[in-house]
Amino acid sequence: MDEPALIRDAQRGDLDAFNRLVLAYQDALYNTALRILSDEDLAADATQEAFLSAFRALNSYRGGSFKAWLLRTVTNACYDELRRRKRRPTAPLEPESDDGEEMDSPSWLADPSASPEEQLDQAELEHAIQHCLDALPTDFKTVVVLADIQGLDYTEAARAARVPLGTLKSRLARARLRLRECLQAFWELLPTAFRLEGERGA
Amino acid sequence: MKTTFRDIERLSAYLDGQLPQAEKTRLESRLAADPALAAALEELRQARAILRRTPQRRAPRNFTLTPKMAGIRPPVPRAAPVLSWASAVAMLLFVCTLGANLLGQFSFGAAAHMEAAAPAHGIGGGPVEEAQVVTEAPLDSANAVTPTPKSLLLTAPEPTAEPDARAAEPPQEKARQSVSPWLVVWPSLAALLLGAALLTRWVSLQAFKKKAEKK
Repeated sequence: MDEPALIRDAQRGDLDAFNRLVLAYQDALYNTALRILSDEDLAADATQEAFLSAFRALNSYRGGSFKAWLLRTVTNACYDELRRRKRRPTAPLEPESDDGEEMDSPSWLADPSASPEEQLDQAELEHAIQHCLDALPTDFKTVVVLADIQGLDYTEAARAARVPLGTLKSRLARARLRLRECLQAFWELLPTAFRLEGERGA
Repeated sequence: MKTTFRDIERLSAYLDGQLPQAEKTRLESRLAADPALAAALEELRQARAILRRTPQRRAPRNFTLTPKMAGIRPPVPRAAPVLSWASAVAMLLFVCTLGANLLGQFSFGAAAHMEAAAPAHGIGGGPVEEAQVVTEAPLDSANAVTPTPKSLLLTAPEPTAEPDARAAEPPQEKARQSVSPWLVVWPSLAALLLGAALLTRWVSLQAFKKKAEKK
């Protein structure tokens, strides 16, 4: 994919060129929105909204990482969504059981002692990470999603999160510290191979 | 030595290779001497390792934009600058024609009725101004057809002034019997313009759709 050429064509109003960029980056934007909003439907809405506003604001893109530029639009869309949700909360924050009653803790957190040998599968690992991310303030969650999950470097992540570099460093450090504490509860359940990888320093 | 939050910030940046060389050297010598600091670095490294392993979901659907979503409209046909006014002109002609047509049909009966009604109305003590308008009615067929309040009587004739003038010029009997050629020409012109405008629009829309499907 010749990204610069596609971006140039898209900037001239070529929707086909833009849609090829959409296909290339939709997973990254959707995953970012999903981690920040913790809701599949809202994440899909934010992703769509982000691509729409990206197309409209395409002429304001002035080089640099296009992925970081797109992630900035999806971060904005997520913040808009969170503001809307704050104004009129529609769903309980705790998951509901089948009979509609709120549960104290989701079933996937229910019994960590069941089997120490049992390995967390991908879904459980994802749930554990999301659970710990949700415990963070949004600003901290955003920087850690951009830097550690999406792999942006400091400069790109700071641009995408619209914060100065110093703020980014500080928030990232704090977020990692708190996530480490939260993930501690799941640590024993992580696959042995993964633990070794983590200890070796990924 | 106690690990401060400033240390955690340094360790986090160190982990990402974002620490200036001088600070990096200083931190490394502290790490060698301080097991608590080394443990903190290890914890941050583990947190980052887990986050990097976050399972990536596939997008639940494609988020490509349609021309409609992107607000791209079909191109305006080349003849459009002229034809975009065609429907407005057609409407104006239609209204004028309709007015003139109605006048042609009803002016005779209405005029006779008004002539008869005028004296009675005047004797009845109606407003003087209205009575004056009514007595003038037989001369001006436009006024005669509508027994409306004065304000309307004064404004209504304006758009139809031309046909009225034509109708009023020849003797009244002749004007009522012969159909003015404008009554035929105007509606035809209006229909023609409207048809042309719609056809051009439709053809251009079809071409746009065809092009969009091809893509």
